[in-house]
Amino acid sequence: MRAIRIIAVNTFREALRDRVLYLFLGFAILLMASSKIFGILTVGEQDKIIKDLGLAGIQFFLMLIAVMMSVILVSREIDSKTVYYLLAKPVRRWQFLLGKYAGLILVVLVNLVLMTVILVFFVWLYGGGFDPRLFLATGMIGVEMAVLIAFAVLFSVLTKPILGSVFTLAVFVVGHLSQDLWLLTRHLPGSLGRTLVSVLYYLVPNFERFNFKTEVVHQLPIPAAAIGLALVYGCFFTGLVLVLACVRFERRDLQ
Amino acid sequence: MSEVQLRIHDLWKTFHPGLFESSVEVLRGLSLEVDKGEIFGFLGPNGAGKTTTIKAVTGLVIPDRGEISIADQPHDSMQAKRLIGFMAESPYLYTYLTGREYLRFSAELLEIESAEIDDRVESTLARVSMTDRADRKMRTFSKGMLQRIALGQALLGDPQLLILDEPMSGLDPVGRRDVRDIILEQKDRGVTVFFSSHIIPDVETVCDRVATVIAGSVRGIGAVRELIAREVESYEVTFTDLDPKSVTTPVASVHRGSDAAWVRVDAERRDTLIRELADRGARLVSLTPVQSSLEELLLRQYEEAAS
Ligand SMILES: Nc1ncnc2c1ncn2[C@@H]1O[C@H](COP(=O)(O)OP(=O)(O)OP(=O)(O)O)[C@@H](O)[C@H]1O
Ligand SMILES: [Mg+2]
Repeated sequence: MRAIRIIAVNTFREALRDRVLYLFLGFAILLMASSKIFGILTVGEQDKIIKDLGLAGIQFFLMLIAVMMSVILVSREIDSKTVYYLLAKPVRRWQFLLGKYAGLILVVLVNLVLMTVILVFFVWLYGGGFDPRLFLATGMIGVEMAVLIAFAVLFSVLTKPILGSVFTLAVFVVGHLSQDLWLLTRHLPGSLGRTLVSVLYYLVPNFERFNFKTEVVHQLPIPAAAIGLALVYGCFFTGLVLVLACVRFERRDLQ
Repeated sequence: MSEVQLRIHDLWKTFHPGLFESSVEVLRGLSLEVDKGEIFGFLGPNGAGKTTTIKAVTGLVIPDRGEISIADQPHDSMQAKRLIGFMAESPYLYTYLTGREYLRFSAELLEIESAEIDDRVESTLARVSMTDRADRKMRTFSKGMLQRIALGQALLGDPQLLILDEPMSGLDPVGRRDVRDIILEQKDRGVTVFFSSHIIPDVETVCDRVATVIAGSVRGIGAVRELIAREVESYEVTFTDLDPKSVTTPVASVHRGSDAAWVRVDAERRDTLIRELADRGARLVSLTPVQSSLEELLLRQYEEAAS
């Protein structure tokens, strides 16, 4: 635990000293601030549009932060060989990976909290009142990011940095589309495409399970079971992917 | 019987760089033992497998076959890792941290008590002469400065076994002397030092024993003096009462002083020459082995290996 904590804190510190983080955070805030303009341009209820756009923006920029920072922070450590000095100390390889993972979660969590508070503030500022359910929606985005970062760690261990970010992005996109694709192809007769889609559907987590944006924006009821299920689902995938990453890293030559 | 601090037994490693590249057999049954408290030099030409061996010992590379133990513990156990201080071939450090921050981070990982961390970091910084530059980001450090911090993190945990991969490369003369002093000082404290180097005078002056690695296995191992003595190539023979030009045994560099003459003879012709001198009534004054320096020895071994 001790080694994991120390590495997590250092990873967090590294992220804070990286300009990329502030760039994404800046864009996210800019988007939320300017959502008022979109609200005026569009017909409809302004606060819904602000919420809708804000949540989508948080998800998008958080995803960018998660993917970029994970791949940068894990691959950089391995590529630039700074990991040599860590692993020659009383630190196990899986502790290194979990430390990195925990540090990345911390980075995303801080950004998530910051962005959510800003969104809640803007919604209130533009006359939408105080909506605590926004925290639920962004919280579930956080769970989604926890799964995504586990994939990013796995890909950083398996491949080169650029490839790693491409694969992680692919998991994100496929994870959001696979349910629709699966539903779509279910009505088609058996084909290669259909088999492929089902394979992807079962292999890649279904990220739509973490999506409560519509319910929150349109004030629809959310069953507690759906939230519980999403949490269990997220924990299961995160655990599985992290175990895979640790197992792979255990036997890897560092060079 | 001295205790063994580091035992490497029959280490094999082949790298498989990629699908379409041929694999490289780097270590071929490398074995050696380093005794407790000695300074052990690890020599060999570029690409001989020194760094790979060191990476296997520190758990960065996983050997295909063979055993490594540190103070009788498996080298990848946490007990063994607590005994090691390691400095890699190049100083791979976090550029976004300052020297002091990095040492503090290392101290935490080395499980040093938090009350002790400050003292330990400060004394280590002083030891590697980096106190006044410790608060700059390491991004701005020169290679020698980075090397000093890297050496600092190796010393920080009061290791029993210091493993240094070319600790003197890239340092100015003062830096080299400092490293040499640190190594000797560690020995005085009872620390075992295992280091690779290409700088032969340093190896000669510092090491108790050396091993030469060629193409992934140990070629020669022993005390520096012993290794050189074992490889006596020729003798200088001084004698009187005979014209050296008339000697029939093939000899080289014939010189004639006011009364004595001296010649150099190959090791395998030594006995023939002595017999001839005796037969012809010359008086033998002295017979001195011409010791090759370590450098010559290595050059010869390396060249033999290359051909
Ligand atoms: N990851 C790798 N993939 C393929 N070959 C490798 C790898 N690492 C090392 N080698 C090869 O292994 C051999 C030994 O390398 P190593 O770094 O151990 O040599 P060395 O004795 O430390 O040399 P130097 O004196 O140059 O530091 C070299 O031929 C090198 O090309
Ligand atoms: Mg080397």
